[in-house]
Amino acid sequence: MTENFKPKITLFHCINAFGDADELALNGKDTCEIQTVKMACSSMVKDVFLLRAFEAGADGVVVLVCPEGQCRFLEGNIRAKKRVAWVQNLLDEIGLDGRRLSLGNMAAGDNAAADQTINNLLKNLAEVGPNPAV
Amino acid sequence: MIVGEQKPIAEIKAIIAPYKKILIMGCGTCVKTCFAGGEDEVAVLASALRLACKKDGQDIEIEEITVERQCEDEFIQEGAPAVSRNEAVLSLACGAGVQALARRFVKTPALPGVNTTFIGVLEKQGVFTEECSGCGNCGLAVFGGICPVTRCAKKLLNGPCGGSQNGKCEVNPDTDCAWQLIIERLRILGQMDNLRIYIPPKNWQPSLSGGPRKMVREDHMI
Amino acid sequence: MNEKPISKLQEILAKGEFAVTAECGPPRGTNPEVIRKKGEVLNGYVDAVNVTDNQTAIVRMSSIAASAHLLQMGLEPVMQMVVRDRNRIALQSDIMGAYSLGIRNILCLSGDHQSFGSQPDALNVFDIDSMNLIRTVQVMRDEGKDMSGFDLNDPPAMFIGAAANPFADPFEYRVIRLAKKIDAGADFIQTQCIYNMDRFKEWMKMAREEGLTEKVHILGGVTPLKSAGMAKFMNNKVAGMDVPEAVIDRMADVPKEKAVKEGLKICLETIAELRDIEGVHGVHIMAIEWEDIVGEIVESAGLMPRP
Repeated sequence: MTENFKPKITLFHCINAFGDADELALNGKDTCEIQTVKMACSSMVKDVFLLRAFEAGADGVVVLVCPEGQCRFLEGNIRAKKRVAWVQNLLDEIGLDGRRLSLGNMAAGDNAAADQTINNLLKNLAEVGPNPAV
Repeated sequence: MIVGEQKPIAEIKAIIAPYKKILIMGCGTCVKTCFAGGEDEVAVLASALRLACKKDGQDIEIEEITVERQCEDEFIQEGAPAVSRNEAVLSLACGAGVQALARRFVKTPALPGVNTTFIGVLEKQGVFTEECSGCGNCGLAVFGGICPVTRCAKKLLNGPCGGSQNGKCEVNPDTDCAWQLIIERLRILGQMDNLRIYIPPKNWQPSLSGGPRKMVREDHMI
Repeated sequence: MNEKPISKLQEILAKGEFAVTAECGPPRGTNPEVIRKKGEVLNGYVDAVNVTDNQTAIVRMSSIAASAHLLQMGLEPVMQMVVRDRNRIALQSDIMGAYSLGIRNILCLSGDHQSFGSQPDALNVFDIDSMNLIRTVQVMRDEGKDMSGFDLNDPPAMFIGAAANPFADPFEYRVIRLAKKIDAGADFIQTQCIYNMDRFKEWMKMAREEGLTEKVHILGGVTPLKSAGMAKFMNNKVAGMDVPEAVIDRMADVPKEKAVKEGLKICLETIAELRDIEGVHGVHIMAIEWEDIVGEIVESAGLMPRP
């Protein structure tokens, strides 16, 4: 656990829930490096994309989705939740630790909620450390 | 379709341990529909294995390919170049597919990545149930279309045992008693008299009990 | 059936006497003394003793061997045979072996699934079902042939029993099943233990209406309750059991020290009612691991001396 561990985070987000990473309070600060992947609906987080984010070097992955019951495509965020849970389990099984991956619900424009989700992930990353598979 | 489940990743890791270059071959038919070994599952497994091996400092190169059906030589031939580039093939097909690979690619180890389980149906999204055990001697006509050989845990042909509870099998409270289902179906069909018919001991010769089976269609052979 | 009685049990039933049978489980080991002790406790109080066949799929001394031990001490066994563990070849072979040892009564059952037992990894057999087994034993006796149609040398002539559960689902089907077992060749029936007398009487009524009580001897099953806990357990956890609230309440309403006595009282009331039901020709007392109580039950029920 080096003191200058600046986690690389890949942020998958649904364009209906969240607009721009530039708006994040976190952004630009020295706490982490964020790369974003925009999706038309959060259900597009297929298991393989989440895994490939880790293969590409991410230390942590966040998925931001609309609140349950408010998905524009009805169940997209529910599918996203199930997919994220499945991959968390897989990450545990291969020894990478499922805490590297998290999902957060946020109402459109509620950037404070987004910040909170990312901060929670950063807390987990402080515990689990950098991605051991890079 | 044939239903199977991918083996636990720890088991797969152990199976591929001797090799540094492997091909994961998926199948686009049965195992794709039950989410065990189609193209998507190949991609996920490859990614997960790369991460798992890299984490442990293990060298591994994984190539990915999926063919239409691994049980037909015509399709697995397409994989020949990929197979020749690798030390072993981890097949996500059913047991038949794995063996078809072993037949064609004699010098390359064909490894199973899936536990093949049963012949079944998609009862509803995400739920697969076993329906047919391939007994080779189908009696569904008299049982209202519900198979007691497969769906009764005791293969009873002459009616239920005394163990069902609330219409569920004594073995598993999540499993319907097949005979309860048969009785209800026969009632709807107006065929309750079928329940009085004495079904004699089954001829198991056409089943696996008689040895692995072969079907030859001369009319389709040149 | 033959003129000479096939077995003592058959003779008693044929004469119209109210028969009494009980049950005995072989040991999880090889000591015949265990069986002999159970036999001694039952001797003189019952007409025949059922010997279970790897009951609940727990591996025990074989039913055929345990039956032979009982025979040697002068008791009449009812050898239970399940179709779970042996294919038709082994079953027919064992039927002939049993007969050669002097066993004359057989109860044909499906058997509890192996997943309940001590070795759930085992492959089960179920080559034939209990209905097929009944028919097989009947054909061996009445036609002298085995399942391949072969004329057996000195074929076995067994008194054939089957189980019936008036409390399993679906209710209306249970009498169809009884009829089918009789057609297959069942001579006598032992039922699952009775606590819901109304339901049992309803089932008997349906059986009489179909003329089945003219064709088969029905022995009503009873098991004395030891506690309210046992009553609840049987109702909730044992497949195909029906213990009405009223019975559970009776057990719960008495102080714990009096529970056993109350259970025996209920048992005796059940037996008394059974003796009055047209078509019931006997009682089958299943006092699981409590064989000592059978004598007291038979005596208190006024069923002594045995013929």
